[in-house]
Amino acid sequence: MNMDLTKAKVPTRRAFAERLVEYGEIDKDFVVFESDIGYSTYTHLFGDKYPARYFNMGIQELNTMDAAAGMAAEGRTALVAGYGVFLSMRAIEAVRSFVCYPNLNVKIISSHGGITPAIDGVTHQASEDMAFLSTLPNMKVLVPADTLAAKNCVDLVMKTSGPCFVRLMRDPLYDIYGPEDSFHMAGSHCLREGGDITIAAYGDIVFQALEAAETLSERGIEAEVLDLYSFKPLDYASVRKSIEKTGHLLVAEDHQKRNGMGYDLASYCLREYPVPFDHIGLEDTFAESGDYQSLIEKYGLSAAHITEKAEQIIKK
Amino acid sequence: MQHKAEKLSFDERIEALIEKAREVRYHIVDMVHTAQSGHIGGSMSAADIMTALYFDILNINPEDPGWTDRDRFILSKGHACPVLYSCLALRGYFPIEKLKTLRKFGSILQGHPISKTPGVDISSGSLGHGFGQSIGIALAGRLAQKDYSVFTVLGNGEIQEGLVWEAAAAADKYRLDNLVAIVDDNRMQNDGFTDGIMPMDPIGKKFEAFNWEVIEINGHNMREVLKALEQAKNTVGSPVCIVANTVKGKGVSLMENQQRFHGKPPKPEEYVIAVKEIRGEA
Repeated sequence: MNMDLTKAKVPTRRAFAERLVEYGEIDKDFVVFESDIGYSTYTHLFGDKYPARYFNMGIQELNTMDAAAGMAAEGRTALVAGYGVFLSMRAIEAVRSFVCYPNLNVKIISSHGGITPAIDGVTHQASEDMAFLSTLPNMKVLVPADTLAAKNCVDLVMKTSGPCFVRLMRDPLYDIYGPEDSFHMAGSHCLREGGDITIAAYGDIVFQALEAAETLSERGIEAEVLDLYSFKPLDYASVRKSIEKTGHLLVAEDHQKRNGMGYDLASYCLREYPVPFDHIGLEDTFAESGDYQSLIEKYGLSAAHITEKAEQIIKK
Repeated sequence: MQHKAEKLSFDERIEALIEKAREVRYHIVDMVHTAQSGHIGGSMSAADIMTALYFDILNINPEDPGWTDRDRFILSKGHACPVLYSCLALRGYFPIEKLKTLRKFGSILQGHPISKTPGVDISSGSLGHGFGQSIGIALAGRLAQKDYSVFTVLGNGEIQEGLVWEAAAAADKYRLDNLVAIVDDNRMQNDGFTDGIMPMDPIGKKFEAFNWEVIEINGHNMREVLKALEQAKNTVGSPVCIVANTVKGKGVSLMENQQRFHGKPPKPEEYVIAVKEIRGEA
């Protein structure tokens, strides 16, 4: 991987869609369902090339999910693309009872994850999606942080049996991975090694964690940064290995703290390997409209917050 | 296609279906009475339609439930699964004795239909979702260039779900002429008469407004039922909605139009009377 962060050219939502178009040649069977935001999820790129395999259902996320379930019940993998907030809530009952329960090959591609649709406001931010989706039996949940990770997620979900949910971002952030990096279910990447504290993050917050680790290093604290892109199943083994070395754990996420990854890892640590622990995320609150940087600063998700929290854990 | 394959005349088919519907109704009452739980009223109102589908119209093979060219059937009003299980057992998908296990621990006959039960194409029971899934199944049939038809039975209460109208619009967009929706309009729902809870009339005109072809019938007149299903199956260029005027609890006088029999089983003495009436011994 490339440890020098480079500004990404495209957001993960676009990277995913570009690979999806390529994948349309590899697998000529799967179909894509869209709910009238094809120019936002970029699935129109797929639709332009494969019109017979592209169904724009209009603004009806619930029926779109059911239609995808029906298609998958007939043996054809169906991707459903849309805004995370709608797919994770408006369509959730169809996902639970008619996708997850029969364990069908429906792949839910959620653009605008977390508070990355910052300027769109709260109705378009998906800050509870991980909790809803990861709670469902049979569901796998992935959050790629950069362009290559997003492209790899296409192959990963298409090759994984059963329902998957992929959280993508609205705006381009940074690129860290190179062609040599591989991705798999229950996988993770250690982006920076350190012996003092483990910082676990996923998606957009990975970059805040890396920036915090840089600052911490200047202050004499060496942080290990894990990109836990496979939210479910989670790579507990790598977390364990890391905290056995560092003895401290901080989980930072663009999500409600409640029922986020922090709750999962806190539970794991209590059971298996207790270490001083803390957790950064939305504090039982909604965000608001505004630019991404202002929001992560106001709501406590920025590199500065991660740095401060890491220092507090170590002083405990 | 059972009767067609036997090359019966239309009149003979009707006669056979009327007799078969008695058996279907008997097993509905018997299994719900045995389970002391289950939705009897909406099963009885759909019994004639379901009998015509399973013993005449549907191109299916109980020996090969997953046959890829079979017609698909989705009971979108999944709570009425006693009528579905009764038809499936009598059609040979599983032994009739299994009907006695309805809703019991370990049974293949769950409280609402699931796709693991032989002959059940998809899970249903949360209202509206069976219809939504039927859109995907119809699209899949077209994409795979299969000739199968997709039949789905909805309840008059069920169509209060907004999801139903999302699906209706989608069927129009794709002109799903391989899709037939039958609304079992028994005028009632869980809490009472639909007119007092959330009126949905005129149902036919609503589907017409969504550019569906609509056929209105008496859902207990087997001639009308069979003709409408045949016409709907052969319609080209449009999805078809059959609005079947029915009576909740049809076939047992003490159950007809009785709210209690939406989701409650008969008492032992009612069971005896019901079975006699169904068998024509009353």
